[in-house]
Amino acid sequence: MTAVAFLFDVLAYSAVFVLVGLGLGIIASMMGIFNFAHGEFVLLGAYTVYLFEQHGLPVWCGMLAAPLVVALVGLLLERIAIRRFYATPVVAMLGTYAIGLSLREGVRTLLAGQFYNVTAPLVGSFALGELSVSRWRTAVILITLLVMLGCYALLTQTRMGLQVRAALENPALARASGISTARVYAATFAFGAGLAGLAGGLMVPIYSLSADMGVPFLIKSFLAVMLGGMGSFDGAVAGSALVGGSSAALPWFIKPVVADVLVFLIAIAIVKLRPDGLLSHWRR
Amino acid sequence: MAERNGSDPQSLARRMFLERAGLLGGTVAVGGGSYLLNPKGAWAADPIRVGIATDLTGPISWGGVPNANVARMVIEDINAAGGLLGRPLQMILEDTATNEAFAVTKVRKLVQKDKVDVVFGGITSSMRNAIKDTIVNRGKTLYIYPQLYEGRECTPYLFCTGPTPAQQCDTFIPWLIKNGGKKFYLPSADYVWPHVLNEYARKTIEKHGGEVVGEEYFPVDHNEYSATVNKIMSSGVNVVFNTTISPGVAALFKQLSDAGFSKKGGRLACVYYDENALNITSANEVEGLASCLDYFKAVNDPYGAKLQEKYTKLYGTKNSFTAGSGSTGMYRGIRLWAESVKEARSVKREEVAAALDHAKLLDGPGGPCEMVPGTRHVKMNMYTAVAKGGKYEIVEKSNGAVLPGECLKS
Repeated sequence: MTAVAFLFDVLAYSAVFVLVGLGLGIIASMMGIFNFAHGEFVLLGAYTVYLFEQHGLPVWCGMLAAPLVVALVGLLLERIAIRRFYATPVVAMLGTYAIGLSLREGVRTLLAGQFYNVTAPLVGSFALGELSVSRWRTAVILITLLVMLGCYALLTQTRMGLQVRAALENPALARASGISTARVYAATFAFGAGLAGLAGGLMVPIYSLSADMGVPFLIKSFLAVMLGGMGSFDGAVAGSALVGGSSAALPWFIKPVVADVLVFLIAIAIVKLRPDGLLSHWRR
Repeated sequence: MAERNGSDPQSLARRMFLERAGLLGGTVAVGGGSYLLNPKGAWAADPIRVGIATDLTGPISWGGVPNANVARMVIEDINAAGGLLGRPLQMILEDTATNEAFAVTKVRKLVQKDKVDVVFGGITSSMRNAIKDTIVNRGKTLYIYPQLYEGRECTPYLFCTGPTPAQQCDTFIPWLIKNGGKKFYLPSADYVWPHVLNEYARKTIEKHGGEVVGEEYFPVDHNEYSATVNKIMSSGVNVVFNTTISPGVAALFKQLSDAGFSKKGGRLACVYYDENALNITSANEVEGLASCLDYFKAVNDPYGAKLQEKYTKLYGTKNSFTAGSGSTGMYRGIRLWAESVKEARSVKREEVAAALDHAKLLDGPGGPCEMVPGTRHVKMNMYTAVAKGGKYEIVEKSNGAVLPGECLKS
């Protein structure tokens, strides 16, 4: 029974991380910039769901709206500020960090520094033998799987995906072939932001809403993308799953405070051994 | 085109407006941070300066905001009643922003530039430890700390007006053993308060025939507790005595609730949980949670009820007047200090401290209280309450005032 609980735990936590890491990974590999406001996009998604609940609308409506709202915010930010950073990745990090800080403090003001609670659309747990399994966490695992498949299909099977990959591989040639890379970048950024919004919306009932909720996710997702290697979809997924999975698994065996540090140590070791990303061996 | 011409007076005016708006916005955003409440009306005498240093922003602002509100309310009351020694009180409020390094400079300003006669504030123990030296030793100023804490603070001229581990555990833990069971689990945040409190709690649990099955420390923002929840569920733990704090605590309580801990007869306990904390998770997730504090709204004493009414009228219900955020300690602290100033007929540190050493309040939220001479800690009533449907019900009241049990020798 313990083994089942353990597996479910690892799966549930990895799912949340994959959702966050995927958005960050897509933006990082497309534009070559790390979006340090990603944690705040997660926060905005959560905040959207909270607003829906506050106004008496169903929570699941908020969860549908969260990715759209955050994608829109992402699009706006990309048009105003982020597109100016593409040439200078270091400035981009600082710039997005500043944007994130403004968003976070803005939400903090709106929440008056308090913590709020959002009720999940599926409350309670179901019994699996003697084990109680949270319904909502199960739903999050399933939704993550669907989103992952959807993203994969979008990138590999559609015309838009082809344009996106073209703009990634060779921007100059893509532009010469009549693809508006500016538009593709904007759309990709909005898409990545939307994924973060979805992640925030889905995870807010599991944790609770506070201005700092995105911060730990940003740092670990950053690590996940480094692990997975820039420029690949499956790399970001694998990296996120590894970071999420080990974050959940290690406290079963060692002290949680040590586990938190160990996750980073393991990740640094892997980055050192495989600087091109986890899956580089299979890809080439 | 005319509209595009830079020398167009309209455009110039617009630019100046933008510049000034920017300047104003910048001042509002960056500057300030401190707030002065000048006494109303005409006063002949110099004001007595009261420094309040608390976390108006940052993760602990849920406690700092009501702390500042309470201070303002009490100080306005005292001024309305004629001030102290014929002098009005002037409140100087500094935001310590839940940041110890930043707080030290703010407190230094209070002590050195504003030359305050007393400082109230600090919520977390790490904050108290960071600012106390600047106030008490280098600043030679009286310091009153309002929040419940881990004890062992015996610095001269530092008075603590919140509950100590003895006050929160001595009656509470026997109650938990009776109304929960003997097997305890101690999930905790990794900082000074949980470590020291757990030491005391463990001793008390073992003294009353209980057993600590596990004691674990997590980073403050930890959010994945499945391993711990599994250990709790599989080892037949009766009582989870929690000292994790926000933001991590929400995830822990949710995951315990999902695993059915309370439904299967387990008892959740947390000694800082008050009415404000009930907003952290939804009501059904903390149903049956037990807490032990010096005041709950449910105590419904006439004095407390009147205070509540007044506070709510002034500041609303968003950051309400509760014990877990140090608001009752702040109330008690300012009142006790004011009594001491009256008795000492002075605001000098030595004289006020000598009077404060045996100061008493005949009434207050939750009942009367008094300093235990020689210890700089307060003896007060304690209440055990259980959360039911998003509210507390008092299940046990201490038999008179409980001793703080701190700084006994010396």
